[in-house]
Amino acid sequence: MSDAPLAALIQSVARGERDALKRVYERQSVRLFGVANAILRDRDRAADALHNAFLSVQRRAGQFDPERGAAEAWLAAIVRHAALDIIRAQGRELPSDDPGLGDVPVEPEALAALEASEQGAALKRCLETLPEKNRQGIVLAFVHGLSHPQIAARLELPLGTVKAWIRRGLLALRECLA
Amino acid sequence: MTPDEREELAAEYVLGTLTAAEARRVEAAMREDAALAAAITAWEARLAPLTALATPEAPPPDLWRRIEASLAPVRAIRTQRPARPHWFTRVWALGATAAAAVLAVVIITREPAPLMTVLLTSTDAPAFLVEANARDGEIRLAALGAQAVPEGRVRELWALPQGATAPTSLGLIPADGRISVRNTAIRPEPGMLIEITLEPPGGSPIGRPTGPVLFIGRLLPARGT
Repeated sequence: MSDAPLAALIQSVARGERDALKRVYERQSVRLFGVANAILRDRDRAADALHNAFLSVQRRAGQFDPERGAAEAWLAAIVRHAALDIIRAQGRELPSDDPGLGDVPVEPEALAALEASEQGAALKRCLETLPEKNRQGIVLAFVHGLSHPQIAARLELPLGTVKAWIRRGLLALRECLA
Repeated sequence: MTPDEREELAAEYVLGTLTAAEARRVEAAMREDAALAAAITAWEARLAPLTALATPEAPPPDLWRRIEASLAPVRAIRTQRPARPHWFTRVWALGATAAAAVLAVVIITREPAPLMTVLLTSTDAPAFLVEANARDGEIRLAALGAQAVPEGRVRELWALPQGATAPTSLGLIPADGRISVRNTAIRPEPGMLIEITLEPPGGSPIGRPTGPVLFIGRLLPARGT
């Protein structure tokens, strides 16, 4: 079972097999902790997010449907939303006073990390068709958990402009990926 | 909600830009709104590759122990009924306990961990054995001995997933008490309730149980080891 596909492990979790969740953790915790920490930028809070996320994984494993998406993406979504719950509870709706926020280099060379997968390469091509600040806004929101006001402050754009750009950018991405 | 609004809401929910209150509303709505849930799933898939931009980092070494410590009470809670106790309160506990006792004896050689329960009569005698396969979705029912069915009535089998508000019919139970069904809307999982009700000929006309609950039990994983 140590070589079982991740999707099969999650299905084992759904059947109540006690070791399966630990195996999921062993395989995915480094990647997932990185996902949570990119949003929270605080190891203690990222640990809280991963803790909450794994309780959700156990509870919701029966809802995982391998035909509707990859196990890695399903897990990452749970972790992201657990991290977003924490950062929202801390009142992120204000422009950030953290100058380092989002300074993790995401442009442009870091987008190369997307090319590791086929879907990632397609997404990168589509992101590159967007205006630069639009692309940055989407990455800052998804990867770093920034709110609209925080993105506006960071990109030095009016809030309304940021909201409209992100909305348009998402629709353009959907069409590009279709 | 128009399709455009739904799409926008799903996208911004997945992107993470909704406020806490908006996100809560979306999470509540997606349980009822299949189209919204599907739109969210599609957006999760579209944007998922972006998670590769987060730098992997080892979590604190004691984190798994902390998670494990939190899991134990959750497991215990899961075998209890969430909110709506009226039609099964007395019976399910008996069913679950008896199932746990009987399983160790009856099913010890089966694998991998099928889900099972035993449905009891009002005098706690085993009446039906239910076995479900979480992988392929098959649910099998076998009568343990003959059971009288009142003239002009039929028995209908139902499944109620945890968190669901209404049971889903799995079909009518034939006279010999054996049925094997696979309903794509139902994914057997630990804690799912299985029940048998008495219904008019042809089964419940309204898609929900109308007659008395004859038997009820909760699926549990049958661990052979």
